This record gives sequence, C-alpha cells and structure tokens, in this order.
Amino acid sequence: MSSHVSPLPADWAGYGLAVMVVSLCTAVSWAIHSHLELSNIIMVYLLGVVGVSAWTSRGPSLLASVLSVLAFDFFFVPPYLSFTVLDSQYLITFAVMLVVALVISTLADRIRRQAEAARAAQVSAETERLRNALLSSVSHDLRTPLASITGSASSLLESGEHLDAVTRRELLQAIHEEADRLNRLVQDLLEMTRLESGAVIVRREWHPIEELVGAALGRLGKRLGARPVLTRIPADLPLVPLDGVLIEQLLINLIDNALKYTPETSPIEIAAFGDDDGVMVEVADRGPGLPPGDERRVFDKLYRGQAKAGRGSGLGLAICRGIVEAHGGRIWAENRSEGGVAFRFTLPVKETPPSIPPGDD
Amino acid sequence: MTDNEEALVLLIEDEAQIRRFLRAALGAHGYRLVESTTGEDGLVQAATRLPDLVIVDLGLPDLDGVDVIRKLREWASVPIIVLSARGQERDKITALDAGADDYVSKPFGVGELLARMRVALRHASSAKEPDQPTFTVGDLKVDLAHRKVFTGDKEVHLTPIEFKLLTTLVRYAGKVLTHRQLLKEVWGPPYADQAHYLRVYMAQLRRKLEADPARPRYFLTEPGVGYRLASE
Repeated sequence: MSSHVSPLPADWAGYGLAVMVVSLCTAVSWAIHSHLELSNIIMVYLLGVVGVSAWTSRGPSLLASVLSVLAFDFFFVPPYLSFTVLDSQYLITFAVMLVVALVISTLADRIRRQAEAARAAQVSAETERLRNALLSSVSHDLRTPLASITGSASSLLESGEHLDAVTRRELLQAIHEEADRLNRLVQDLLEMTRLESGAVIVRREWHPIEELVGAALGRLGKRLGARPVLTRIPADLPLVPLDGVLIEQLLINLIDNALKYTPETSPIEIAAFGDDDGVMVEVADRGPGLPPGDERRVFDKLYRGQAKAGRGSGLGLAICRGIVEAHGGRIWAENRSEGGVAFRFTLPVKETPPSIPPGDD
Repeated sequence: MTDNEEALVLLIEDEAQIRRFLRAALGAHGYRLVESTTGEDGLVQAATRLPDLVIVDLGLPDLDGVDVIRKLREWASVPIIVLSARGQERDKITALDAGADDYVSKPFGVGELLARMRVALRHASSAKEPDQPTFTVGDLKVDLAHRKVFTGDKEVHLTPIEFKLLTTLVRYAGKVLTHRQLLKEVWGPPYADQAHYLRVYMAQLRRKLEADPARPRYFLTEPGVGYRLASE
C-alpha cells in the first residue's frame, strides 16, 4: 500500500490525502446535510477516516480524525461556521467520534504492519529455502568428487605397490577427472555469486559472433569428442557489442548442456541470425527435449534434467540467464517440432557499428 | 623431450604444493629447476643464476607478479611464463603487455605448461638465428620470402593488411599476442585501442585460410586477452 512509496514523500502525500479526504467528506455532507441526520454525517466522516487509515500511515490517520471532528463542529453543529458549541451534549458526540476515529486508525495501522511483516517473512522464508537447497546441493556436489579423489589417492599411497598398472592408471584417471569436475563446479559457483551480487562488469567491445562460437568450441575441446557440430553463421552478420569472456562462457554452458543431455553421436547445431534490433543465437540439439512446461524452469537455479552422463552443478543455465540479462538480452528454450530442444538468446545492438578502415586490396 | 638440453628454469611461486608438483613434472622432462618463494628473492636468483626461462606466479606475497616482470625486463630478455587464475583476464593482459611471453591459467595440466615452455624457449633461441623463409602448420604454408600463402596446394590471395597480420602471427607462432601488441605492430600505435579492426581482419583470415572458420584450427582466440597462431 504505502510501502512502495519512499518515506518522506509518502508522509507528505499522506497528510495531503488526509486533508483532501476530510474536505471531500465536508463537501459531500454539506451538499446533502438538509436530508441527513447529524449522526449520519458523522458516519460520512468516519468513512473518510477509515479510507485514510487504510491507504496511509498512522500520522495522516490521526490528522484525519482530528480534522473530521473540527470540521463537523464548524460546519454542522449549531451555531454553524463557528467552533462554539451551544448544546453541551455535542461535546460527548465529539469525544466519542474522536475515540472511534482514533481506534479505527490504530487498528488499520496494526493490520497493515502485520500484513507487511507477513509478506517480509514469506520472502525471507523463500530466500532461506532456496539458500538451504543450494547449500545442501553444493555440499553434496563438492563432497562427491572430493570423496573419490581422497579415496583414489589414499589407495595409491597406501597400497600402490600391490595394484597392477591398469588399476593404478584408473585411479589416477579418476583423480584427474574428479578434480576437473570440482574445478567446474567451483567456477560455476563463483560465477553465479558474482552475477547475483552485481559484481560482474560487462566490458562491451564489438565482436563477430563467429569468433566466440569458435573460441567456445575450442575451449570445450576434448569434451566434444567426435560429436558432429553444425554451425550456420552468416558471413555478413554485423559485429555485436558484448563482453567476449562472458559470452564465450554462455556459449560453453549451452553447448555443454546439450552434450550432457543428448546421446554421444547426436548432432549439435549452432546458428546466428541478425535483424534490426540485434542478433539472435541458437544452440539446438536432437535430444529428448524438455518435459512440457519446463521451458522456463530450466533457467532456475538447481534445476536439473535427467542427465545421462554425470551431474552438473544445476547452475549452468541460471548463469546463462544472468549473462544474457546483464547484456540487456533475453534467453529462452523451445522444444523443436522435429525433436530436441533449441536454446535461443538475443543480444541487442543499439549503437551504430564502428567503422572499419577502408578495404586495403 | 630432448630439445630443452637441460634448460635452467627459475620458478617464482609461493605455494609449496604447486612447487612440489612442478619440481616433479619439470624434472621428469629434463629441466633443471631453481625455486624461489618471493618476488624479491626471485629477482636476485634471476640475476645470479641466469635461467633460460622464468615461471612467475601473479599472486606473490611480497611483490606483484607484474612488478617482477617489469623489473626483470629492465635488463633481461629471458622468456617469462605467467601462472594466473582464470577470470583474471585484465591481469594477464597487464602481465603480457609488461613483457611476459605467455601464460597458463590455474588449474592447468602439465602438458599445457610444457607446450608453452617449448614455444617460449624456441623463440628465445631462434631470435639469435636468421628468420626461417617458410612457416608450416597443418595444411597452412606461408612462404615469407616470396610473400605467398597456401592451404594445401592451393595459393590464397591476401590483402596487404591480412598478409601483415599473418606474418606478425607467424613471427610469434605458438605464443599469445594481446590485442594491443597486434594492433601496434600491424596498424601502428595510434590504433592500439581499435580491437574491432583486429577482430574483423582475423575473421577474414579465418574465412580464407581455415577449413571451418567457426572451428578454427590455426587462428585461435584467447577470449579477453588476444590471439595465438597454432604452431604444433
């Protein structure tokens, strides 16, 4: 109610509203007072006080209560247009009217505070729930690779001489792979924390999309294996102002996501399109697609699908959304009619691309 | 590895565990190692032991790793490789612009560090010899003497700027070059901040010389830092 207005203007607006409402009640009562009993005019004022109490804070409600009594006395209690009171029983009327008005405003104020407290408690409970979920998920995700690293390393240390070369190599391989997984998890956590705390500075420079796709595919390197990757990026696609490091990370996360959820020989398609507002980039696969209704939820923290190979951090796509939004763009997922899912994001281009030195051939 | 002829490596790193695994790995590949845990001591060791290569961690307790590089570069041309964390792209650029030859991001595999070391040592030794007339990697062949470029048997026509960019990359093949370094070298110092010139010309080179420009094999991007021409 008044909570979405900043404090100082809210107070002044509240007091202004109190004066306005009392004036309005007076005007209405004045217009029809010949048809009304005095007791009903009191009701009109009390209605005004209820309104002011409901919409503002305690101070303006008190003002409305006092002003109502004064206006009632001045305009409607004989002698008219004077604060003098001839019949002393009206003093009781004033006192009761004031008390009722004050009680109404106090009650309304209390209800409003309780409502606000309940709302705040709900928000903090939601934050708390998410934080706990994140914490338990992260501690599980951190412990699993740590357990296999510790186990493998201690096996090698304590009984390495009894193990054959193949087993030793397997244990070393496990240490290496699990450390790599741990590293990715820690990177994701750091990136998510930086994005959420607003510590990410977007350093925009003009980039060709093709270069970032190439860098992302290069960095994924071995993880791509023999996976067919089809790229469709028009040669005349304009340069886009973006942070190269962040957008490379975004592309890596999207491609990595496709790798995790689709069979090993299933192709990944990367395409880019330009229009007047900027560019749209698409990373699409031929996997099982998203469960209907999950197209939005996939970008939530800790959302995990049925990955066939290893468990991710549950943060990859949430990071993608953070990066795109930091660029003023939009990201969404759609199941493809031919099967599989397409992740698409837009990057706006508002400025004119910079000039390139004239052709040198 | 026989091409390092027991090169002497100075490692300036304060983390004992990193020193331990590098001692084992470099020793196994025939390098001799001098270790230093602070920047000040590292500079003294560099002056007295005259190493063939220096590996310096950017996060040292006493001096900033970049200061170590600057002080070393006042008198020494020894190749320097920086160890830094991922996400510190600005620090990497500062270190490279201050005179470091290359970097690896922690956590790194030994293979990656050894590859960087080989390239750095090769450049240091070839600086004393005349330039090779041709450069070859995979299908790409650059005939510097006759100013001709081939992919496989096919000659490719390049514009003068494309050719200048290519030859600059070839001169430092295998080594990372920052945007600034390339822009200064190819377009001249007034253009050092026009990174988009470089990106556009790099895209043109890839389109002419790579089989798939969206999956480059030769002209590699180091996001936020610069470019590297593959040499192996």
